Amino acid sequence: MTDVLLETRDLALAYGAFRAVDGVSLRIARGSIHTVIGPNGAGKTSLFHCLTGERRPTAGRILLDGREITREPPHGRVGLGMSRSFQVTSLFQELSVHENLRLAAQGIDGWRALNFWQRLNKRREHLARADEILERIGLAERAGVAAGELSHGQQRILEVGMAICPRPKLLLLDEPTSGMGIDDIPSMTSLIGELGEDHSILLIEHNMSIVMSISDTITVMNRGQVLVEGDPETVRSDARVRDAYLGEAA
Amino acid sequence: MTTKTLDTVAASPGRRRFKGRLGAGTTLAMLAVMVLLPLVLPSATLATEILIFAMAALACNLLLGFTGLLSFGQAIFFGAGAYISALAMIHLNAGLIGALLIAVVSGCVLALGVGMLCIRRKGIYFVMLTLALTQMAYFLAYTLSDWTGGDNGLLDVPRPPLAVGETTLISFASPLAFYALVASLFALIYVVARRITDSPFGSTLLAIRENEQRASALGYDTRLFKIMVFVLSGGITALAGALYGMLLNFVPLSNIELLMSEQILIMTIIGGTGSLFGSLLGAGAIVLLGDLLSSIWPRWMLLLGVALIAVVIFMRGGLWGGLSSLLERRRGSHTKPHKEAGHD
Ligand SMILES: Nc1ncnc2c1ncn2[C@@H]1O[C@H](COP(=O)(O)OP(=O)(O)OP(=O)(O)O)[C@@H](O)[C@H]1O
Ligand SMILES: [Mg+2]
Repeated sequence: MTDVLLETRDLALAYGAFRAVDGVSLRIARGSIHTVIGPNGAGKTSLFHCLTGERRPTAGRILLDGREITREPPHGRVGLGMSRSFQVTSLFQELSVHENLRLAAQGIDGWRALNFWQRLNKRREHLARADEILERIGLAERAGVAAGELSHGQQRILEVGMAICPRPKLLLLDEPTSGMGIDDIPSMTSLIGELGEDHSILLIEHNMSIVMSISDTITVMNRGQVLVEGDPETVRSDARVRDAYLGEAA
Repeated sequence: MTTKTLDTVAASPGRRRFKGRLGAGTTLAMLAVMVLLPLVLPSATLATEILIFAMAALACNLLLGFTGLLSFGQAIFFGAGAYISALAMIHLNAGLIGALLIAVVSGCVLALGVGMLCIRRKGIYFVMLTLALTQMAYFLAYTLSDWTGGDNGLLDVPRPPLAVGETTLISFASPLAFYALVASLFALIYVVARRITDSPFGSTLLAIRENEQRASALGYDTRLFKIMVFVLSGGITALAGALYGMLLNFVPLSNIELLMSEQILIMTIIGGTGSLFGSLLGAGAIVLLGDLLSSIWPRWMLLLGVALIAVVIFMRGGLWGGLSSLLERRRGSHTKPHKEAGHD
């Protein structure tokens, strides 16, 4: 049996009477890149909201490392080893790129971040972590610039960079390439590929060339449910998957 | 509500050095202002009033400028601080330190309650809750006229000396002595607030102001941070209220009115949100303007409206923003103009 990092059991999320997530059971293996794909409105982001605690599922359970986290608030999940990026870029626009990353690193301090008497440069590990991630995502040149002044592509990279600052066990990335220009996508693809070497990743992505090239496992969602699950080859050749996407196009 | 006034680029080495100099500079400037105020102004009482409102504006700035919380509730804490300290002195014979401590503690406790209630909602609903609570506090003070004097205000508020047992160490009967007391307290609060805004806690407040959802996703319990900054702000505001009662020897009902909240907010915004030194500038400007104009033109508040509009439209960083960009330009800095307004 594979080593399961995150597991959901019959997870459901309803908006009123509409079931956006309808009985999803996932098992994400430790060390893998696990991608969720599906046509628009399939419920991918809604599933994500449940996993990150943004929304409380209407039914089902979520287990991280065998521990029940279904009702854990978003901020509590960071300390447990989960960290996320947003589909719609969500930065601290007026703060510098470096400060965005430093704040991201400081988040694991939990209630210790309430310390109101310490000087920031006393927390060297957070400054060092921000510097390290700056290098890794290739934004060291722009460290002092306000995040809001970065190009869209750079903002998307920073978005992912912030998610890795707390050294998560599980990295959740919601469409990291969304809205990126064709020129910027290769750098994001290689970044995610690299991150996959030392992180377990749950990825939502529309860009099929990325999905097929870096995923270990793919889950195809449609209408809130899991349609097919398997390795890229299996999914590529599955007739139901083609139908779901063709159905969307029609 | 976010503003363009905060230091967005503190991380670049050059900026950090400049910011450090500017920071130390504003502390010195603040101390210089403390010494000069009673000398240049016609009366020490006027100088004292400026510092009391600067204290209240600074506290308001922690909410508005640093956390992005637009609260109309500051009059609750200002008024409560004034009433409760005065009542403690009148009925319980509290001394100076006792009265001020009671004010601070009750301000903190009230702010804890108000904060916990209001931060359950965001945006416009948060603002409405603070408005509603201020109205309630006002009517409560109005109704409890046996205690508060209602419309007539609470009269004969003493200004006790600093004493140990029966021996008086320092009397604050003279306006200048009382000014020295208020100035010392203001300087203390200013330095402490500077330290707090530069701490992990303070940096997290900025994160919440910028993007609360992201802050929460990064592991911060944002509600806890917002409640804590409310408590801090409430305590400081109540202290200002208590000192105001001692200054006037009287607590007018207007201390706990919505209009008081508005005045404190206007001082904060005109001075510059996100700048502690700006709060001193804002309070100074408004108190002086009021003092100059109220005697010659009863409708002077109209001008206040014009000033506020001018600041909001033309000078987003307020007085501090204008001043610091002037300073920075004179130093020949190469950073872009709209980022020059750093928080001190
Ligand atoms: N807050 C909400 N209230 C009501 N319905 C919602 C809400 N959010 C999403 N939905 C609906 O739930 C369904 C699933 O939405 P979701 O955002 O999870 O899809 P998705 O798979 O992420 O799509 P996309 O690929 O476009 O990002 C959609 O039909 C959407 O209209
Ligand atoms: Mg989505």
